[in-house]
Order: sequence, then C-alpha cells, then structure tokens
Amino acid sequence: MKKVILSLILLSAICFQLHAQKIYSTKTGQIKFNASSPLEKVAAVNDQVDSKMVDKTGQIIFSALIKSFKFENQLMEDHFNENYMESSKFPKAEFRGYITNASTVNFAKDGKYPVSFDGTLTIHGVQQKVTATGVMVIEGGKPAITGSFKVKIKDYGVTGSYIGDKIANEAEISVNCKYE
Amino acid sequence: MKKNIIWALIIVVVLGAVNIWYYVFQYSKTHHRDVTNEVAMLVTSAQIVKDFQSNEKMANAKYLNKAIEVKGELLQEDKDQSGNVTLTLKSGDPFSNIFCTLKPGLPLPIKGSMVIVKGVCTGFLSDVVLNNAIVVKSVQ
Repeated sequence: MKKVILSLILLSAICFQLHAQKIYSTKTGQIKFNASSPLEKVAAVNDQVDSKMVDKTGQIIFSALIKSFKFENQLMEDHFNENYMESSKFPKAEFRGYITNASTVNFAKDGKYPVSFDGTLTIHGVQQKVTATGVMVIEGGKPAITGSFKVKIKDYGVTGSYIGDKIANEAEISVNCKYE
Repeated sequence: MKKNIIWALIIVVVLGAVNIWYYVFQYSKTHHRDVTNEVAMLVTSAQIVKDFQSNEKMANAKYLNKAIEVKGELLQEDKDQSGNVTLTLKSGDPFSNIFCTLKPGLPLPIKGSMVIVKGVCTGFLSDVVLNNAIVVKSVQ
C-alpha cells in the first residue's frame, strides 16, 4: 500500500514537472515594416502586437492588425491599407510556429540565446512557410525576442504598380517583443 | 490675348502641381488622422467585445477604421515600447478587454476610474484594439 502511495506521489510529481510550463505574453510587441526603395522611404511601426510563447515547447504566435501600422506619411498609410494590404478585407497578419531550439534557452538564467523560428505566416489572407533567426534575451527572468526576416511582397498576393519601383520587392519585417 | 490665356494656363498647371506636391509630401507628413473632432460611434466596452466575439466579420464591417467612443472601467495603464500610453478597459470578460493606445502628450487619467476613450478601431486580437485614442472623460 505504501509503495502504491509513494509511486502515486512520484507520478504526480512527474506530471507536475511535465506541466510546469509557462506562457509568456505581451500586447505591446513591436513590428517594424520596411519596404523602402532608393526613391522613397516606405516604413511603418506597429506597437500593438499580440504575442504568446510557451517556454518548454517553443510554441509561439504573433498577431498584428494591419490598421495598427503607423506611417510617417498619412497618405502612404491610407494607400498601404486600401490599395495594397486591403486591410478591411484582411485585418490581421499572423505568424504561428515554433522556436525550433527552445530547449537550448534557459528561461531561468539571464543571458542572450540565438533562436530559430519555423512556422506559417499569414498576410493578406495568404499563408506561406517562413523560417527566421533572432535573439532571445532573458533579463530579470523576463524574455525578449528580436529578429528580422524578409518577405517577397508578391508571394502574398499583394499587387500594385509601385512594387519593384518606389516600393521594394522585398519587405523587411523586424520583430521586437518584450514578454511578461 | 492668346498669349495671356497660355500664360494663365501655365500658372494654373504649375499651381496645381505645387498643390499636389504639397499635399502628398508635406501636408500628409504633418497631418495625421485626429479623432478629436470626429463624430464617434458610442458603445460600451462589454458590447463591443461581445460583438467581436460573436461575429468578427460583422463586427469588423461595423467598427473597423471608425471613430469609436467606449466607456468602461480602467483596468490597467501602461506604456508601449515606443513610449505611448496604453489603457486597458474592462469588458466583463477577463480574457478579452479593450486595449487602447493613446495619442502622445495627453494628460493621464487616474487608475481605478471609469473612463470614456475615443479612438480608431483597428480590429480584434485578444482584445478589441483602439489606436490614436484620446480620453474624453474620466470619472473617479
């Protein structure tokens, strides 16, 4: 009987260990978009990015609203929304995937860890597989992620006569999220 | 006489071009959308969250890019990574609130008070998101 109880306690301890994963999140993550060409600065910032991450599995989600991207030039912002991203039809962009080397990150220890991402990016209603690299910084037990990658604008069904001319063919997406 | 007409036409064309240039490159850089003087749609925080949860597509059609005035209890006041003040308003559903980013340089409301904010609705993530918002009223 004692053995049974003991093994039950052990088992529950193991289960607890397995489930002791933490979800980190933020609602004020930052994504920068840059499709500048030598002719024109085409850049925007979104400070309302929603992101969640699970430490053990490395599962990670970034969601951003297209209308939350702020341009220096209001007219450019309007064109970005209406003519290119069609943000009334496709209000969100999303990345769902994994930090493939999450096991190499010690969330309990302050430091810098190189990380790789693998997942699906949805922009303008079109899904594409994406891989990227970045850096995870643990400071005071709180993780922060920075990273950037390039997307070919036409891969996402976004068209317009200025693409490849005043607007670069490839946009650089930079992510900077501080989690709680 | 003909010469005069030609000159007048040239002046009109040049003025037009200058106007367009000014609007595209100067005016649009310094003038951003401002909800302060826009007529807003009035809604409670509970109602707008419910609308987005029950049918996001319909709610998007109703609220997206519109000036919305939301009344709710202030849950949290914070700053985002660009230094803008963000307010979270309770909706009654603990998992989904109203998240507003204020325009820079506004006097702050007091924590724990009821607030009415006016901003542009940009959509629904975990929360209903408002941007470029102002605090219309805050009551203790």
